[in-house]
Amino acid sequence: MSDAVHLQGTEDESNSSKLKTIASRFGIHIFLVALIVMSGIISPAFLSANNISNMLLQAAPLGIVVIGQAFVIILRGLDLSVASVMATAAVIATGLSGVNADVPAIVGVSLAIGAATGLVNGLLVTKRDVSPFLATLATMIVLQGFRFAYTQGAPSGNVPPLFRVIGSETLYGIPYNLMLLAVIAVIFTVVLSRSRFGREVYITGGNPVTARLLGINADRVTIIGYVISGVLASIAGLVLSGYVGIVDNWVGRGFELDSIVAAVMGGIALTGGRGTIIGGLVGAAILIVVFNAVLLFGMPVQLQIIIKGLVIVMAAAFYVRRSN
Amino acid sequence: MEQTSALGSFVRRNRGLVVVVLLLIALLIFGSFYSDRFRTTSNILNVFEQSTGLALVSLGQTLTILTGGIDMSVGSMISLLSLLTSGLIDGKANLVVPVAAGILVLGALIGAINGLGIVWLKVHPLIVTLGMGALLQGIALLYSLGPAGKVPPNFKFLAYGKVLGLPIAAVFAILLFIAVALFLRYVRLGRYIYAVGDDHTGARLMGLPRSRVIIFVYTMSGICCALTSIYLVSRFGVGQPYTGINYTLASITPVVVGGTLLAGGRGGVIGTLLGAYLISLINNVLNFMDVSTHYQLIAQGLIVIAAVSIYVDKRKRI
Repeated sequence: MSDAVHLQGTEDESNSSKLKTIASRFGIHIFLVALIVMSGIISPAFLSANNISNMLLQAAPLGIVVIGQAFVIILRGLDLSVASVMATAAVIATGLSGVNADVPAIVGVSLAIGAATGLVNGLLVTKRDVSPFLATLATMIVLQGFRFAYTQGAPSGNVPPLFRVIGSETLYGIPYNLMLLAVIAVIFTVVLSRSRFGREVYITGGNPVTARLLGINADRVTIIGYVISGVLASIAGLVLSGYVGIVDNWVGRGFELDSIVAAVMGGIALTGGRGTIIGGLVGAAILIVVFNAVLLFGMPVQLQIIIKGLVIVMAAAFYVRRSN
Repeated sequence: MEQTSALGSFVRRNRGLVVVVLLLIALLIFGSFYSDRFRTTSNILNVFEQSTGLALVSLGQTLTILTGGIDMSVGSMISLLSLLTSGLIDGKANLVVPVAAGILVLGALIGAINGLGIVWLKVHPLIVTLGMGALLQGIALLYSLGPAGKVPPNFKFLAYGKVLGLPIAAVFAILLFIAVALFLRYVRLGRYIYAVGDDHTGARLMGLPRSRVIIFVYTMSGICCALTSIYLVSRFGVGQPYTGINYTLASITPVVVGGTLLAGGRGGVIGTLLGAYLISLINNVLNFMDVSTHYQLIAQGLIVIAAVSIYVDKRKRI
């Protein structure tokens, strides 16, 4: 992350290339601001308090997943199992009697499943040398199978009221789930950019051989990365279940790809070793704004998907140019 | 190791294939003991026939994976192309041939755009094809939110017709797999596919036409998706905007089970065909055992884990 940027900055540069550096470093932030301003001009309703509050509510589940995905991608991996973990957590959230007294049990079981999934992913990737794509694909399918077997295909029940509050209510216009996202983001940003473990994550992702030479236990770091992703995905699933209020087997469907897309748009390179949590969150914000704007402008909902496809490829191409 | 027999060295070189064949045999024996109805010719032919859709899409997927890439747009492509097949034919028998030809061309074109995108933008195939997948899914939903059009009754012949007692689609799939296997082995472009997947830099240094190879494999994957779409429409009688949604990830399973490494450069299409049969057979056996489809999912996931643990992949990329 900042290391790479600083290295670029140490060379003597003319003003124009400095401008380029600024554009490439903050390009995605500028893009987000431009997107918001443009959407506001096209449709004033976009900037209404109501709509902003609405977007922020939707941002939290995706943001939480992106933070976990960031760890895994910086470690040269990717986690396709997050959506399955989210749906499983949501099914568990409604699996009991739907009262607040169940909350500790629900949270405990969900986080345990998320952590266990991450552990299996990490072990497959490190100890068995399975490619992250396949390892997380396999755990995704297995978890999906268990979920369907458990619910017999038709989950039902209610989310405890506390989850409803966290997932869908606001305090002075600020959603509770956004506060949760902020807390998680701050904690993991500190972990990633200030702690020894964070440094080990960047070094391991940048070059596993170097990591080993430096005495870093690359396997352990990688496994912890996947566990973080699994745990955050289960938290996101609980938050999302509180947002939608009802449950089906596919809560969170599409989040695996959306979270990867958001991370890549936010400058977290699939080749590993680079990117920040803030970048990933900016990427997530762009996705949320695009989705919201498409709907608000009265365009067909299908355009959301088409625009998403175009944005993915353009953003990735932008970063490839930058790194060349 | 000079003394090892020819059989021994064959087994060592094709460990994956041998495991898959042994598993197929074991399942056939187990199924035969388990149920009388399993043993019938019609059931075995049924398994054979049901594997066709998965086999066809996995054939193209094998080629992209052999180059070290992946095609994540196959599911949406199948959805769009099958929707267009039934939507454009719309019950008119005289439109069957031109529409089918058009669908094949369109599949090739979409695949070529995938390949061009990967080559020109220098973006990871995963991202390019994910983007294309989203694009195609959106277009499919713009075209229709539900099943569209219909096909004339005799169109079903493609999926259900039999020649000499054998289902023609499944036989066609086998012939296609054999053709591609021969192509990979004896045609220069086919061998280049392995070279590109084995080592990108090395391939470029040797002057291999890397760009051409990559565009070629994604075009082939597009054509395979078109074939799958036509087969599925023939089977179900209509295309839907979500017909293909499960095929993106499902198409990877037979490839991996068949011994093709996700990092590229190693494997082959015959393993994929056997992998598709294995999955079809497992689902069939589980059906006979009255195991719900939910557990069939678990079985599929465990197979992937087992397969990737057997073929340890030291050069993983994604």
